[in-house]
Amino acid sequence: MIATIVKKEILGHIISFRFIVTLTLLLVVVPVTTFILTNDYLKRIDDASLRQAEIETYLRSYGHFNRIGPILQATPAPIPFHSLVRGLAPDINLGEFDNDPLPVMFPLIDLVFIVTIVMSLVALIFAYDAVSGEKEDGTLKLTLANGLARPKVILAKVAGGGLTLLVPFLLSLVIGLLVILVHPGVDWKGTDWLALALITLGTALYVMFFYGLGVFISSRHHSSSASIMTSLLVWVLLVLVVPSLSPYIASFLSPTPSRIQVDREVGRLSDTERDDLGRKLQAERLRDLIAKYPVLAERMSEADKKRLMERDPVAREAFEAERKATQGAWDEANRIQGGKIEDIRKAAKLKEEAQTKLSRFISMASPLSVFTYLATDLSSTGLRNEAHFGRVGTVWDQAFGAYQRRKIADLQAKDPATDWWNTPVDMSDRPRFVYTEEALGGRIEAAMPGFLLLLGYGLVFFALAYVSFLSYDVR
Amino acid sequence: MTWTIARKEILSNLLSYKFYVVILLAAILAATSFFVMTRDYKERLADYGLIRPKAGEPIAVNPPNPLSIFAKGLDEAMARSFEVETIGVTVRAGQKSGNAIFAFFPTPDFLYVVRVVLSLVALLFGFDQVSREKEAGTLRLMLANQTSRSAVLIGKWAGNFLSLAIPFALVTALGIAVLGLDPDIRFSADQVLRLALILVLTLVYIAFFLSLGILISTLTRRASSSVVILLFIWVLLVFILPNLGTLVARQMVDVPSVRALSEKREQVWTREILLRIKGQGDMPSHIRTISAENDALEADYRIKFDRLVNLSKNINRISPVASFVYAVTEVAGTGIGEEGAFKREVVRYKNAVLGRMLASPDMKSSEYPAFLYRYRPLDRVLATGTLFDTAWLAAFGVLFFALSYLAFVRYDVR
Repeated sequence: MIATIVKKEILGHIISFRFIVTLTLLLVVVPVTTFILTNDYLKRIDDASLRQAEIETYLRSYGHFNRIGPILQATPAPIPFHSLVRGLAPDINLGEFDNDPLPVMFPLIDLVFIVTIVMSLVALIFAYDAVSGEKEDGTLKLTLANGLARPKVILAKVAGGGLTLLVPFLLSLVIGLLVILVHPGVDWKGTDWLALALITLGTALYVMFFYGLGVFISSRHHSSSASIMTSLLVWVLLVLVVPSLSPYIASFLSPTPSRIQVDREVGRLSDTERDDLGRKLQAERLRDLIAKYPVLAERMSEADKKRLMERDPVAREAFEAERKATQGAWDEANRIQGGKIEDIRKAAKLKEEAQTKLSRFISMASPLSVFTYLATDLSSTGLRNEAHFGRVGTVWDQAFGAYQRRKIADLQAKDPATDWWNTPVDMSDRPRFVYTEEALGGRIEAAMPGFLLLLGYGLVFFALAYVSFLSYDVR
Repeated sequence: MTWTIARKEILSNLLSYKFYVVILLAAILAATSFFVMTRDYKERLADYGLIRPKAGEPIAVNPPNPLSIFAKGLDEAMARSFEVETIGVTVRAGQKSGNAIFAFFPTPDFLYVVRVVLSLVALLFGFDQVSREKEAGTLRLMLANQTSRSAVLIGKWAGNFLSLAIPFALVTALGIAVLGLDPDIRFSADQVLRLALILVLTLVYIAFFLSLGILISTLTRRASSSVVILLFIWVLLVFILPNLGTLVARQMVDVPSVRALSEKREQVWTREILLRIKGQGDMPSHIRTISAENDALEADYRIKFDRLVNLSKNINRISPVASFVYAVTEVAGTGIGEEGAFKREVVRYKNAVLGRMLASPDMKSSEYPAFLYRYRPLDRVLATGTLFDTAWLAAFGVLFFALSYLAFVRYDVR
């Protein structure tokens, strides 16, 4: 019997107006988005290789260790998945003079955007009259007038509706993927396809959640016009409001020191306060020395000092001791202040991490955020990838540091007096930064809680819909 | 007669479930948005207090704009600090960078609430205006009397517009009044005027979506199909078209990446410094070359980038929602045009400071001019696109209303 109702639901949806509109919309939007993003990705690859060539030219002319710092840096590379998911793309570039204002005005579209905004709304549009609409039409009481259990009806409704919903999405995604397959410049690997399969699974869970929610709302209302109102209200809150507000709420609950303030404090510690401390320590240490070598108390010019040192071995010892004490005092001051700076930076970092964590946690109240994190992590365009990129970058930094020390040692071995800082060096054998995505296993592990959460949310609303429907007055 | 119908609409709205749900929603969202964005503004103001240059420092910093509470736009980019040194301009970005979650979701400012939520609310007021009364059978009763169809339609439009606009205007006015009590936030007379203009734009925007709702309602027989069509149009207008437009524009205009640009700058700098170390020429002349070449690079980039911006704006304007966003952000002084003007001002300031540096023998001067950015006056803002955007938005509203009149005149009310 369930099969019959599922079939009826599917057929009923497929010939409906909303199904046709959804199908058309998705069939246009998904392939167009994929096409544009694919071109965008290819452009980024071109740009990256052009820049690489420029860097090589630069190094041939100006390969001085003093001049390469800002040029040789680990930079994120475009990855094939960018032809579907943009994620946390660093387009806005607030750290540069020429930042990009366009994505601030309108966030750029990608697959995650289409799923989170469009598919969730479509799911509610499909579900809002699942119960209340049938009641209005009078078909619900006819259905139940036969020996049909309510659990079967509701189960079949959710299953049938959810399945129908996924058809337009999958169809449009397949056509979008054809664009990727046909493009010779885009090379998707097995792991990419696997990640995409998992994202599609996440999409199914996400869409089922909204469908379950819609059926639940529908079975709480007796008119479909009221149930669409409530559905839209809940949709606005879950999709548009909760995610946007969450970082602000988190910054309220768990404030971080402003970065500018931290910079200021660090500047003060490493500048004026360090100088004061250094002078104080220097004076203290010199006081003891002066007691031992009275000659140090005398004021004399550098030339006089030099002459005295040549004449008198005791004075020589005294001045050397003075130099050592001064050096020691300033080293000590630098060490103390450096420790303080590190403490401040560490504390600020901990607080920022705590705030990020809290924002993430609060935003997970909305399945939109859960899906966004899941999809961006799986496609290695999200938060997890930023951390991964940081790690890969550090490894390269260390390798390059070792390379630099080795080169400098070579230079000094040839000529001890060389100004290795400003001498051109052939750097063609340097370790190059190659960005590699995190292994899929780690990404899947990170996405697991998201899957479970989406599934949990979906089950809760399905259970609620079930309970509401059991006591629904179908007359 | 029109007024009687408008009154009837208002009264029936006041009694409906829909009215309370949506007005409550809009009110709560507007209030939350004010609260959140005020805090955000104050935090940035506190940061500004810290980085504000002392007299004589060659640093360009613009204080955060209080109107960014309503439309944040590019204010974060405009409130960065630009430190002028002989080697160029060092940019320091402010806040949000510590928490990446900010980058995932849009900013919940007043503009966002209006753009997304209020437009939906306006559609929900319009979607069943004709079809519901037809389904209920009251439409033919009404027209059986000597009421003209135009009076009915105008009455319906006016009644619904008022029952949407009045509560929303009240909530917003209340929010602004509360903001006005805050001692940290001060609006100048010009900014109050701009704020009023933003509210007017918001009303035009609501009117546009209400007309669209009524239009679709007159074109459909059933309220349920009307709502489905409207939701699809809404998604298209509010989300898909404006977000796709920028990407499409990028396909057509080639703009070098910002990273490539800054690497080019680095190259110029290194070349000149190494020439100096080799002993060719004096330092000021090298600095002058660096500055001139960087300005040329910047100018070249700007030309390309402006082409991209204009194209993307024009593509996005297919959706009047984009026009609305451009108009509001420009009026608030946080728009793309204002940011461009601001950057030109920073470049000019840099050249002034550099002139001073080069004029003094040790390339250091204790007295540099202070940087003060004056926002473009309102008439200039209006003349450079904002008036067009407003007219474009209003024209669509009028067009949709006219179309719904045409459709309603032929509507079969039985």
